[in-house]
Amino acid sequence: MPDYPIYRDPPEQCRTPDAEERSLWGRTLERIADHCRARSLFVLHYCTGCGAIELPPSMTSRFDLERVGMQPMVTPRQADLLLITGYLSVKTLKRVILTYEQMQGPKYVMGFGSCTINGGMYWNSYATVKRLDQYLPVDMYIAGCMPRPEAIQQAFLQLMEKIDSGRAQNWKEYYRRYDHYLGEQQALFGEQFHTPTDVIGEARHYSLFGPETLGEHTAKLAKYDLYHPGQGAVDALEVKR
Amino acid sequence: MNAFDLLLYLALATLLPSLLAPKGRSGGMLTTLAYLLQVWLLFSLLPSVSQGGSVAACLEFAAFGHTIGWQLNGFGWFFALITAVSALIASAYATGGWERQCDHASRLHSLMALNVLAMYLLLGAADLISLFIGWELVSWAGFLLMAAPGGQSVQAALRYLIYALAGALALLTAIVLIEQSSGTIQLDALRGALASLPDGLSWVVLALVFVGFGVKLAMPPFHLWQAPAYGYADGPAAAFLGAISSRMGLFGLCLVLVQMVGLERLVGLALPFSFFDAQSLLAWAAAITLIVPTYIALTQNDARLLLAWHGIGQGGFMLLGLMLGNDLGTAGGLLHVLNHASYQAPLFLAVTAVVYRTGTADLDRLGGLIARMPWAYVTLLLGIIGLAGLPPMNGFVSKWLIYKGLLDAQMPLLFVAAVIGTLGTILSVYKLIHNIFLGQLRAEHREVTDAPWGMTGPMLLIAGFAFISGMLPGLGLYLVEPAAAALGLPMPSFDLSAIHAPNGALDMLVVVSALIGAIGFGALLFLNAGRSYRTQPLDNYAGGHFLTAQTRYQYSHHFYAGLLRVIGPWMRPWLVALEQGSGHFLDLASAASRGLYYHNGLRFLVFGTVVGLLWLLIVV
Amino acid sequence: MSIALQLLLMPLAAFLVGLAMVLMMRKVRASVERRIGPPWYQPLFDIYKLFAKDTQISHGVMHDVAIMMVLGGIICVVLFLPVPGMSGLSAKGDLITLLYLMMVPSLGMALGVGQTANPNGSIGIARALTAMAGYEIPFFICVAGAALHYGTTDLNQILTIQQHGGHLEHWGIVQMPLLAVAALFAVHAMLGKEPFEIYVAPAEIATGPMVEMSGKYLGTLFVMQCFQLFTVSVLYTTLFLGGGFSWFTLLLKAFAVVFISVLVTNVYPRYRTDDVLRWQWKWPTGIALLGLGMVMLQIGR
Ligand code: SF4
Repeated sequence: MPDYPIYRDPPEQCRTPDAEERSLWGRTLERIADHCRARSLFVLHYCTGCGAIELPPSMTSRFDLERVGMQPMVTPRQADLLLITGYLSVKTLKRVILTYEQMQGPKYVMGFGSCTINGGMYWNSYATVKRLDQYLPVDMYIAGCMPRPEAIQQAFLQLMEKIDSGRAQNWKEYYRRYDHYLGEQQALFGEQFHTPTDVIGEARHYSLFGPETLGEHTAKLAKYDLYHPGQGAVDALEVKR
Repeated sequence: MNAFDLLLYLALATLLPSLLAPKGRSGGMLTTLAYLLQVWLLFSLLPSVSQGGSVAACLEFAAFGHTIGWQLNGFGWFFALITAVSALIASAYATGGWERQCDHASRLHSLMALNVLAMYLLLGAADLISLFIGWELVSWAGFLLMAAPGGQSVQAALRYLIYALAGALALLTAIVLIEQSSGTIQLDALRGALASLPDGLSWVVLALVFVGFGVKLAMPPFHLWQAPAYGYADGPAAAFLGAISSRMGLFGLCLVLVQMVGLERLVGLALPFSFFDAQSLLAWAAAITLIVPTYIALTQNDARLLLAWHGIGQGGFMLLGLMLGNDLGTAGGLLHVLNHASYQAPLFLAVTAVVYRTGTADLDRLGGLIARMPWAYVTLLLGIIGLAGLPPMNGFVSKWLIYKGLLDAQMPLLFVAAVIGTLGTILSVYKLIHNIFLGQLRAEHREVTDAPWGMTGPMLLIAGFAFISGMLPGLGLYLVEPAAAALGLPMPSFDLSAIHAPNGALDMLVVVSALIGAIGFGALLFLNAGRSYRTQPLDNYAGGHFLTAQTRYQYSHHFYAGLLRVIGPWMRPWLVALEQGSGHFLDLASAASRGLYYHNGLRFLVFGTVVGLLWLLIVV
Repeated sequence: MSIALQLLLMPLAAFLVGLAMVLMMRKVRASVERRIGPPWYQPLFDIYKLFAKDTQISHGVMHDVAIMMVLGGIICVVLFLPVPGMSGLSAKGDLITLLYLMMVPSLGMALGVGQTANPNGSIGIARALTAMAGYEIPFFICVAGAALHYGTTDLNQILTIQQHGGHLEHWGIVQMPLLAVAALFAVHAMLGKEPFEIYVAPAEIATGPMVEMSGKYLGTLFVMQCFQLFTVSVLYTTLFLGGGFSWFTLLLKAFAVVFISVLVTNVYPRYRTDDVLRWQWKWPTGIALLGLGMVMLQIGR
């Protein structure tokens, strides 16, 4: 067994429904929203791995992903779904983490191919990341090296089904267990690692705080003063990376 | 002693406080108070100048067999009111805090008061001689005000002086010609008197007047002096000059063209071998004044110069409207004088507030100040919407009147020219507000705050007026009416909020309420649609790059690169080169003669005598 | 119909028609690329999803206010555009007012994008304004010609003149064919479609103005696109195609205008910024000037 906890979907009954969700009106709106979310995925490709080559056929006239409402987007702000299309080097992972944090919830991550699952054929490499879900909450993996477009579509449909039924809530876990994820990131990149985004502030703002949002790893962020965005944060970012 | 006399005395007395109390703020406060009184006096004059009436001053003297006197009519009154209000705002702004960073505040106050007095004397002129006296006073007072800060502003002011002297000579010649041909110098007697001049003489007078007053209006090709002269002046002085000073040229031009010659005569005055008559020629000159400086403004990197160049362009708008002679054009041209003053002053004041806090007006060295100086931002925003002529600000109303006037006069090409000017303005004002207030905040400006309320208050006040008078254009048109009556030009029918025309009306109250209502609806929708988190500017998309305060993550330099690649070749500064070339030639000639003089005095004397005799021979 | 009801119905109708136009655009693009394309509810789902985002980023007050200005401004424009059965506020503001009101949402967007503090956005706005300088000049020449031809800038009067008597002979496109052609080019650029799509340019400046827009911010821009398609096509129809006697004919014509534009779009790559200007200042402007000359000859001056 690895010494880090393997992350799975939270069981349904553990979710504490908020006040809005309890009202019939709120629940109806949320139900419609979930349906729309499933049927309108804006996709951000992070195309550093080989799997990227399978995306053009999925997007274009052969398989036409627009049929199910998927559209490519160019910036993380606009996107709902982050596609990690294969192996990640340590350097790229930093960018992936920033990109993920800049996406707006509900947001989903999909890992392509065995490289994102266990390192794949790069298992022995010093420079690549073995398990993506150590660093980010992943919603769906596609096995294969490389996965065929049919497999990709299958995964998309499964993800949609998951979103539609309201079960794709992994993105909230990034806020609730930020300390854990930050710890993993710091273990890889060094103690001083932090992004310009303010995950803790957002968690507080959107009431996504969990028992593990703060902890020993986030305590190291204090000196960057990301709790009070504005002047302090700018100072913090001047620290040499 | 009537109110006009009182006004002149008061304007004279306004010079005193800052001269008597050069230190401390009491001088500035008293000056401001005096301007307030002047505004009040001017309003008390309104009943007597409306419907073509006028008020004569007791100040008069006799010379050359003519009585020289002063008399204020509705046209002059309109400009005088704008002058007084501009001076009031500028002086309040200076007193309210700006002068704390200035070592010559009392000089500034007294020079501004001198300018106001000179302008009253020009605007209240009853004859050609008093007009010329006023004109020269305005030029010299303007020169002193422009040169007040020293340094590069002296250079710019001297340049102005050279242009102004050339203009004054042309004007003097024109006055002599007018006096010779019509036998009178009284402006009232000269109404329509020049309509009967023969064609050749008319063209000469027109050309001379165009040079004389056009220099002040900075109409191309005399446009080079104005932007540096206004831009580099002290902030409040720049606001005052930008708001009203060059309108004196417009005043003079209208006096001669509209009142003495008459627009019908201008239409009849055909330019041989062309489709142009004098009116369309002047309208096209106005259109060129509108377009050329506007696109020069687009390329400026100094906020003050950018605004000053726009001031020239908007002058072209006013002249364009007034040259039409129809009701909408007249109302638009005159209303634009008022509206322009009411947004140009806050624009200059807001930029001055930025300079006051950051020490620079360089558009490449600012950015992101909206978070630090929100009130300056609001002022500048209201100002640029007015300058660009978009609803709901008042600049839109006057421009709308001019557009409609041009279409009614069936001059579509001039309409398009006006639109081209407006498009250039929109581009350039966005660059202005973007480079100062939007984008990333620079690390060195993190501690900056808004200017003190003494400065922010006046500029917000006048910007607020620009908004209100956009919503209720009748307020401004009510003031324009006496001016149009004094000129003998028609006015459209209007009420407080609307301008009526049979083929397309405008009700600004409806437009503005619809806009505000719709934005309110938008706000409701927006605020109900889920919360958003306010992040700091460095949390920004950079293709995965980690931004730090050291990253210059701003796009400001060469803002319209694509546009300038196309129009750049048309904008080579050949006129600047010509001006510099002639300057260098004069330099060289004077250096040569000086060398000759110091080298061999006797030979210089002989040479001088021979040249002088030759000149006499040629002339005689 | 009472004015209050009109003020409610006009934006609603514009939004729905705009949604249909967006759908048509995507469907046509899909068929040109031999795809099936999105289902019919797609534009609505996209907008609903964006407005239902749980978290979204604001970069400051102006960013928020800009979105309100965009939404409000574009709704306000629709109120001044007469459609069959509803003239809204069009008697209180004419064609020129409408054209300048159309710049208000763009200005709001420009300011908001400025505050997102992303140079991609700023470049996008700089390009959008440059493109505006490109297409507005021919468009305003066409407007000037039309205003001279009809002798009025009141949109209701323009419609009455065209719908007077027969069906076709008073239409702007019959009376002023050159202006109508030039205006169609300008309208195409106004919609920001290829080859004039310089300010979105996803592969180049990351969708320019939209780069930092998330959730309801982006959603509002989607809504703006719907309204913009409606406004521009109906305005063109009003000026040159005789407006509509009924909603059916109006929509037929408006969809035709958008359809032409969409067909052209899909076979073009993107021009460079300065080439957009050169093209717009050469072809549409030249044609429009010729058309203006013809109008001047017709009205005899
Ligand atoms: S899983 Fe295979 S195809 Fe995918 S990135 Fe790794 S090596 Fe390439």
